Amino acid sequence: MTLRPATAVELADIVRDAHDRHAKLRIAAANTWPERSRLVASDAATLDLSALSGITEYVPGDLTLTARASTTIAEIDAATAAHGQWCPLLPWGGDAGTIGATFSTATHGPCSASLGAPRDLAIGLEFVDGTGALVRAGGRVVKNVAGFDLTRLLVGSWGTLGAITQVSVRLRARPAVDETWSIAISRDARARLDALRRGPLAPLAAEESDGRVLIRLGGNAAFVAASRAAVKALGPAEPCDAGEWTRLRAADPHPRAPLTASALSDALSQRVKKQFDPRHILNPGIMGEGVS
Amino acid sequence: MTPLSTELSQIVGARHVLERPTELLVYENDGLPGYRKRPRIAVFPGTRDEAIAVVRALHAARVPYVPRGAGTGLSGGALADDIVLIGLQRMRRIITVDPDARTATVEPGVVNVNLTKAATPFGLHYAPDPSSQSACTIGGNVAENAGGPHCLKYGVTLNHVVAATVVLPGGDVVSLARPAAERTGYDLMGAYVGSEGCFGVTLDVTVRLTPNPEGIRTMLADFTSVDDAARATSAIIAAGILPAALELMDQATIECVESSIYAAGYPRDAAAVLLIEVDGALAGLDDDVRDIERICRECGAREMRIASDAADRARLWQGRKKAFGAMGRVASHLAVQDAVVPRTRLAPILARIAEIGARHRIHVCNVFHAGDGNLHPNVPYHGDDPDESARVHAAMREIMELCVAEGGTITGEHGVGLDKLRYMESLFPGDSLDAMCRLRDAFDPERRANPGKVVPSHRCREWLAAPGAHA
Repeated sequence: MTLRPATAVELADIVRDAHDRHAKLRIAAANTWPERSRLVASDAATLDLSALSGITEYVPGDLTLTARASTTIAEIDAATAAHGQWCPLLPWGGDAGTIGATFSTATHGPCSASLGAPRDLAIGLEFVDGTGALVRAGGRVVKNVAGFDLTRLLVGSWGTLGAITQVSVRLRARPAVDETWSIAISRDARARLDALRRGPLAPLAAEESDGRVLIRLGGNAAFVAASRAAVKALGPAEPCDAGEWTRLRAADPHPRAPLTASALSDALSQRVKKQFDPRHILNPGIMGEGVS
Repeated sequence: MTPLSTELSQIVGARHVLERPTELLVYENDGLPGYRKRPRIAVFPGTRDEAIAVVRALHAARVPYVPRGAGTGLSGGALADDIVLIGLQRMRRIITVDPDARTATVEPGVVNVNLTKAATPFGLHYAPDPSSQSACTIGGNVAENAGGPHCLKYGVTLNHVVAATVVLPGGDVVSLARPAAERTGYDLMGAYVGSEGCFGVTLDVTVRLTPNPEGIRTMLADFTSVDDAARATSAIIAAGILPAALELMDQATIECVESSIYAAGYPRDAAAVLLIEVDGALAGLDDDVRDIERICRECGAREMRIASDAADRARLWQGRKKAFGAMGRVASHLAVQDAVVPRTRLAPILARIAEIGARHRIHVCNVFHAGDGNLHPNVPYHGDDPDESARVHAAMREIMELCVAEGGTITGEHGVGLDKLRYMESLFPGDSLDAMCRLRDAFDPERRANPGKVVPSHRCREWLAAPGAHA
């Protein structure tokens, strides 16, 4: 069975009803992720959030954006590119994935170490918990300590505490110069690459692929010139199209690491789960906790 | 001696338990004048084991308590109203500094700036730099998710905490860690940061250390209108430059600073100054300086000054960091605000704040993290004058309602504590406040840690049914 709410309020009604009936729900958006090693109980109805889509607020001068859960990474990228900005998440799995799923799973990407991961970039979100309560967490400003941090709690909870309906993120200006190099790297250059990554001329991203290292440089012209010289000193370098990153991300779908044990084995996590999804109806099994 | 203080004395030693009113006097306040609450007992554990034993004793006796660092908080969060205060400033060991991993593990009572001092030999520092950094503790910083001027580029405390060991109010000791990229699990560490002492007592914290930048450039831009300074702030960020810090001080603040021992040489006739710092690799740094200077001039800056050396830079910063203290010269009390607003709304909101201040005949001093939109419209006032106090409080409420209506929040770095509790319901609907109570219940089911703070208790669905925990 598939349930497809048109609004967050409808979603809350559906979850409240499921809670009352002890009915399990499997949360889905764009269905771009394979489920290997992340099986949800087979008797769960599908909760299809694809209708909760679209950017709801974007003020370029504030460098913040709010979008409904099923808005794709591609759509956000296009909207922000028009203002010389980006949401620097660029998650593994590619641009067809949704913002809601990216935050639900805290999926990183090649630029996460330099530009921020979902846990850093989320400034607020809205979700429906396992009792059907529609909860707003955080806000739309970049600094906020009003109340307990439900945003951090939900990011990376894989839908097991609530179905995220909307996310607010901080954006960044796209770097004035953004270029990608592919270098063949010898064993002895590896230590120098590590030093480069830890130093002041650090690239935005560096990922190994087919025996080469793909390096992304970003910043103002003088910075990138200095950084480029350091990269070329590592080994033979060829310029690449930025599209290479999109291909690399799509070829490495989430989840990257299989779950081998329950992520909810500790008493504190179990108490949190009990507070937000007392009947274990949301994505049961997805945290490896065993389906009851 | 009561049975409880006898028991606590057996754990920490009699001289580390205070219960005489004269001894407790200094623990009646935190950094925000205007609130006084006397703890029944103050207890100061010196080690992790003592802290655990204290929390377990209080749990067994069903006595609520408030953890406290240096007491520099600005929201009344560390006040204990006739309950136990657990002071953590004796736990001030820096346990390890790991220059390869770029982390340090410290006890909660370590003073913020002392951590940076310990990291300095390795070319590293601890980035979050609240203005009270020479006194405030890392444990307190974690409890408040403290910010500071350099958080514009480097992020707030949350972004620098890696792990912590915590004794929960029920007495269990848990290790919290922010999940790494490919590890699955709830981010209970992230949820703990900023929990204002309501989720437990921190025993140790592991934080990220940041490499010192190759170059630093500090600028002072001088404007003849606050509006121009606010526009310059937006224009700098919109140009894609991410300064390490971007601070605004208005004329009232400049006057306070320049009349004090912290005088920094700010132009007294300026309507506002921007203190702007860029840092990072030397390559490209001066291009950023040039761009910022051009933008400031285009927005109407009268003069731009670049700090000539480290001493000059330190002087420019001292004026900013000591601005709250300098306001202490003006009157006995200081109302402190901490709202955050969307950056593009800064100019109109500052104009409205000026109008509200004039209407209530109060003296608003603006000094704030402009790059983040994090306002501090502070008001020195005479707390013993009931008419002036009433006008200040009415103006503060209007300012807060304005910031919320403009899409902002009530606190960006100081926490809710007691002082902002009354604004929580204007910011969050009932279901959201209830969800916050439920998160607290997961950590502290018996609601014993820092009761009555952060979320108005009547908003918690099951709060009133809770065991009435009073000694």
